[in-house]
Amino acid sequence: MIRVAGKEHPWRQGMTVADLLREYADDPEPPVVRINDHYVSRPNFAQTTIPDHAEIFFIPMIAGG
Amino acid sequence: MSAYDFKLVKTFDYQRPAIDRGYAGQTLYVNVSSLEISAKPVTRQMKEIFIGGKGFDLWLLWNAVTPKTHWDDPENPVCIACGPLGGTPGYPGSGKSIAATLSPLTGAVIDSNVGGYFGPYLKFSGFDALEVQGKTDQDLVVFVDGIDQKVQIFAATGLPEDAYRLSEVLTDHFAQGKPRNISVVSAGPGAKNTSFGCLNFSWYDPKRKRARYKQAGRGGVGTVFADKGLKALVARWDAGISVDTNRPADKERLKKVAKLHAKEIVELDPKQNEMATIGTTHIVTIMNDHDLLPTHNFRYGSHREAANLGQAVYRRLFDPGYDGCWMGCTVACSHGVRDFIPLSGPYRGQKVFVDGPEYETIAGCGSNLGIFDPHTVIELNFYCDAYGLDTISVGTATAFAMECFELGLITPAHTGGMDLSFGNRASALELVHQMARGEGFGKIVGQGVRRMKAVFAGEFGADPKILADIGMESKGLEFSEYMTKESLAQQGGYGLALKGPQHDEAWLIFLDIVHNFMPTFEQKAEALHWFPMFRTWFSLCGLCKLPWNDIIPADNTSTPEPAKVMKHVQWYAEYFSSVTGREVSPDDLIRMSEAVYNFQRLFNLRMGFGRREHDTLPYRAMGPVTEVEYESRAERYDQQLTDNYKVDIAGKSTAEKVAALRGCREQQYEKLKDAVYQRRGWTSDGVPTLETVKRLGIDFPEVVALLKAGGVTA
Repeated sequence: MIRVAGKEHPWRQGMTVADLLREYADDPEPPVVRINDHYVSRPNFAQTTIPDHAEIFFIPMIAGG
Repeated sequence: MSAYDFKLVKTFDYQRPAIDRGYAGQTLYVNVSSLEISAKPVTRQMKEIFIGGKGFDLWLLWNAVTPKTHWDDPENPVCIACGPLGGTPGYPGSGKSIAATLSPLTGAVIDSNVGGYFGPYLKFSGFDALEVQGKTDQDLVVFVDGIDQKVQIFAATGLPEDAYRLSEVLTDHFAQGKPRNISVVSAGPGAKNTSFGCLNFSWYDPKRKRARYKQAGRGGVGTVFADKGLKALVARWDAGISVDTNRPADKERLKKVAKLHAKEIVELDPKQNEMATIGTTHIVTIMNDHDLLPTHNFRYGSHREAANLGQAVYRRLFDPGYDGCWMGCTVACSHGVRDFIPLSGPYRGQKVFVDGPEYETIAGCGSNLGIFDPHTVIELNFYCDAYGLDTISVGTATAFAMECFELGLITPAHTGGMDLSFGNRASALELVHQMARGEGFGKIVGQGVRRMKAVFAGEFGADPKILADIGMESKGLEFSEYMTKESLAQQGGYGLALKGPQHDEAWLIFLDIVHNFMPTFEQKAEALHWFPMFRTWFSLCGLCKLPWNDIIPADNTSTPEPAKVMKHVQWYAEYFSSVTGREVSPDDLIRMSEAVYNFQRLFNLRMGFGRREHDTLPYRAMGPVTEVEYESRAERYDQQLTDNYKVDIAGKSTAEKVAALRGCREQQYEKLKDAVYQRRGWTSDGVPTLETVKRLGIDFPEVVALLKAGGVTA
C-alpha cells in the first residue's frame, strides 16, 4: 500500500510513476511528483519505480521567485 | 574581535509619527558629504501613484539625479524602502526591503528586493524610505534609532571589513542588550572593488543567537553604497511587533486573510515544495531534468552530476530550525549551514555559519561553472556574502571567463597563471578572493561581463563576435540562472526586463516549457504584460513573492488561470484593502504596478536607455552558438527547423543548420518584442505612448517633455 496525496492506494511490484498517473488521467498531469523526499520530474516518470509504503505528492510547480 | 571606535559626528532628533494605514508619512534624507539629515513628507500623490517600496525609491531617485548623473556621482542616492504592507507579522513574506540606485553595471535604475528586518524597522521608526546621497572618505555608520527618536552619524574606525563580522559587531554595539531590535545593512570589501557589490540585510536569529543575513544582490547597489564611504546602516526598533504596529484600516479583516494564507502554507508546504525545510534547492534537479539548468556558461541545460547539488544533499547540510527572514513567515525558506569550515581565504579552517545557498547561487556558482561539489558552492556563497558580492553576477561572470579560457580566447598569460577550466574549484575560489581585493585577473572579472568583453577584445585580441554571443549579459547586467534557449517567453522575460536579465520580473520558463500555458504569440505577449506587472506589485508593498505561487491552493489546477494563482491574488487585494483602507480588486493591483513599471521604463529612457535597441539578448540565450551545442541536441533542433520553421535541412552541414536556426530564432524574438510592446501600450521602439502615460496618471510635465524630446507625441 502507498499513500497518494494523503489517501491510501494499492501498490504493485514494478509500478512506475507513469503507471500511477495513468490512474489519475482525469486530473492535469503534474510536472513533478515527490516520492517521500525524492523529487521526480516528468521526463523520468516512466523509468522511476515506486517503492511499497511510499508517500506520494503531486507537485504543481507554478513557482519561481 | 577587532578594537573599534565610534565618533558621533551628527545627531538629528525627531518626533516619531504614528504609523497610519501602513505609512509613516515621511522619508529620511541623509547626505554623507554635508552631514545633512532631514525628513521629507510623503505626499498623497506618492501614495496614490507610487504606492511605496520600489515606487517610492524610484520617485526619490528621479528627483535626485539628472540624465547626466553617473553611478559614482555623489548625487546618485542609495534608496531603501519598505512598503505599506511591509512589517505585518503573520502574513507570510511581509518583511521585504527594496533597494534602488543607478547601477554601475547598467547605468540605469537597478532595484533589488531583500529580506531581513531593516525596511520594517525603518518604517516603524518613522520613515517609509531612506535616501542617502553624498560621498565621504571616512567610514560612516548611520544609525536610525526609532526607540529614542534620533538619527545619528558616526565616524567609525577599526570595524571589520567583511559583512559577516561587521553585522555581528554592529548588532552587539547598538543592541543595548536586545539584539533582536537591530538590523544592519552593510556591503564589504568586494563591493568596493567590483561593479557587482551586494548589500547584506541582517536580522537576529534568537535560536541560533547570531545575526543572519539576506542579500540585495543585483546590479551593484552594494558598490554604490561602498563608493559613498558608507560602512553600514543600522536600524533599531522594538521587536515586539504586532498586527497593530502598521495601524491597519481594518484589523479584523487583515487578521482573517493573514490567517487564511499562513494556515494554507503550513498545511500545504510539506505536501508541495517543502520550502520550510529545503528552501529553493528542489529546483536544481527539476531544472536539470527539463534541460533548463545552466551548465558551463549556459551552453547546456543538464549534467549527469547535477544531483550532487540537489535538495537531497542540502537537506542533510542545512541546519534544522525556523528560518524565516521576517517574523512569523510560514514559508521560512532562509536556510543555512552551521559550522562550515572554509578551505580557503581569511576564514580558512574556522567554523562559520553560512546563510544559504539558494537555487540561484547553486546554479551560478555550481553547475554553470561545471562545479558539482556542494561544499565548494557553500564556500563561494559564504565569501560572496562576506565580501559583499552578488553570487549571480559572480557565477555568470566567472562562467564566461571559464568558457573564454577553454576556447583559447584568453590564456594563462591573462589570468595570472590560473587554470580557468570549467570545474576548477580552486580557481573559482581564488577568483572570488581576487575580486574582493581588487587584484589580479579577479579585478577584470569583477567589472562584469560587459566590460570583460571590451577588455578581452580590445586588450587581449579576442574575437568580439563570439564574445558577444556567449557573454551572458543584457543591458549590462549578468543573467540569472535559467537556460532560455527553448523558452521564447523566458527570453522575453529576460530581454524585456527593465533592469536587465533577472528572473524576478517574469519567471515564465516553467509555465512556458513544462506546462505549455502560453503556446501562442499572443499568450506569450499577454504573459509578458500580466506577470511583470503583478510581480512588480510585491516590491511596491514590501512583500515577498514566494507565498503567492510557490505554495498553491490544492484546487488551483482546476481554476481557469492556474498560472496566476488567482485565489492568492484575491487575498492580496484583501490584504492591501485591509491595511491601507483603499478598496482594491485584483485588476487594481495590476494597474498600480503598471504606473510604476512604465515610470521605470521612462526613467531608463531619461538615462539614455529604454528603447528597442536596449532589449537585446546574446544569441546563446536564444539558441546554440556552436556546432557542438547544436549537435548535443541535434534531434531537437533538426525537428524544429523542419517542422516549426519549414527549413529543408537535407544536405545541410551543422554550421549551416546553426546559421539557419539562428535566423529563425532571432526573427522570432523580434516578433515577440513587437507583440509585447503593443500589449504594453508602447511604440514599436519600446517607448510608452503619451496615451499610455496619461491613462496611468504619470503624465507629469517632465515625462511629457521627455516623450516629446524622444519624438513620441501620441
